[in-house]
Amino acid sequence: MTSFDRSIGRLLIAVTYVAGALLFIGVLLMLVEGISPLSGGPRLDLSTIVADVTSLQPAGFLWLGLITVIATPITRVIAAAVGFAQVGERQMVLVAVAIVGVIALSIVTAIVTG
Amino acid sequence: MAVALLMIAGGTAAGVFGSLLGLGGGVLIVPLLTLVFGLELREAVGVSLVSVIMTSSVAAGVYLERHTADLRLGMRLELFTAIGALIGGSIAFLLAERLLALLFAGLLIYVAVSMLRARTPAAPAGPPGEPETYEVRNMRLGVVGATGAGVLSALLGVGGGIVKVPLMHLGMGVPLRVATATSNLMVGITAAASAVIYVIHGGVDPYVAGPTVIGVFLGASIGSRISHRVDVRVLRFLFVAVLLYTAFEMLMKVVA
Repeated sequence: MTSFDRSIGRLLIAVTYVAGALLFIGVLLMLVEGISPLSGGPRLDLSTIVADVTSLQPAGFLWLGLITVIATPITRVIAAAVGFAQVGERQMVLVAVAIVGVIALSIVTAIVTG
Repeated sequence: MAVALLMIAGGTAAGVFGSLLGLGGGVLIVPLLTLVFGLELREAVGVSLVSVIMTSSVAAGVYLERHTADLRLGMRLELFTAIGALIGGSIAFLLAERLLALLFAGLLIYVAVSMLRARTPAAPAGPPGEPETYEVRNMRLGVVGATGAGVLSALLGVGGGIVKVPLMHLGMGVPLRVATATSNLMVGITAAASAVIYVIHGGVDPYVAGPTVIGVFLGASIGSRISHRVDVRVLRFLFVAVLLYTAFEMLMKVVA
């Protein structure tokens, strides 16, 4: 199972490099455009991310990078669930599914309760 | 330009520190953003949560590759941490914050003293790639402790690593190096759930988070790659120092 752990580790590293690259481009564009980090950035708007990225707006790259960062641990748990299912570790599959379920419940609760 | 570079530098320091100790680095980032850059606490916590996820992901990736982190133990415990965070979030407004801070400070001091008194191996562990051998004990304690860590994390806005590392090391017989690596794996999940909520409510500023998280990415990459060269005694000393500092901050909140 050490190769499985290694695969999960490599997945995490790969995703963080992608996130790091997106954030790096975003910060570089910020500096080029003379935007101060303390000037107050825009809130997340999923409908404008693609347009912002294609028009080289820093906020597009920054939000894409930040979403990738936040999604990384959840991706890791889902990937682990798939890996455990492939090797027949049913108990760990249930653990992984339960983790994702609890996180989803936390988010829904937070949204509903405001 | 200077502000962005300072944020990157601060993030790098937090990333090194957090990845070495399994804390995520939030204890450094929040004071950095509030005291040095004048951000509001809520904004700083939002950025800190994303930074904690970055530290967790980078460090956990390296530690899993080197077989230092215990994936199965981490996932079992993080399920209960997530449940604890859900409970904590639900009761957060029912309890007096000062009482909680006082209790938490007491817990931190107790853990710091326990860690100082624990037996310490004289030399660092073997080279990367050779898993440490140990037997996990007191899984029930682990379940209770992990749930408690989740509750405290949600109630007090602190990284759960400050509870999880001593819990695994002192309570469950996990070597310190494995405990910090496994904690790094776990803190990302707890922080991810909270970070999504902060993003939804506009609590994460991308212009502040961008440079800070890049710094954390660099720092966590460095920290996780040098961790096997750091003497466990140094690691323990640093951890105890962070525990006592956090306890002091908590007590100051109570007094204030």
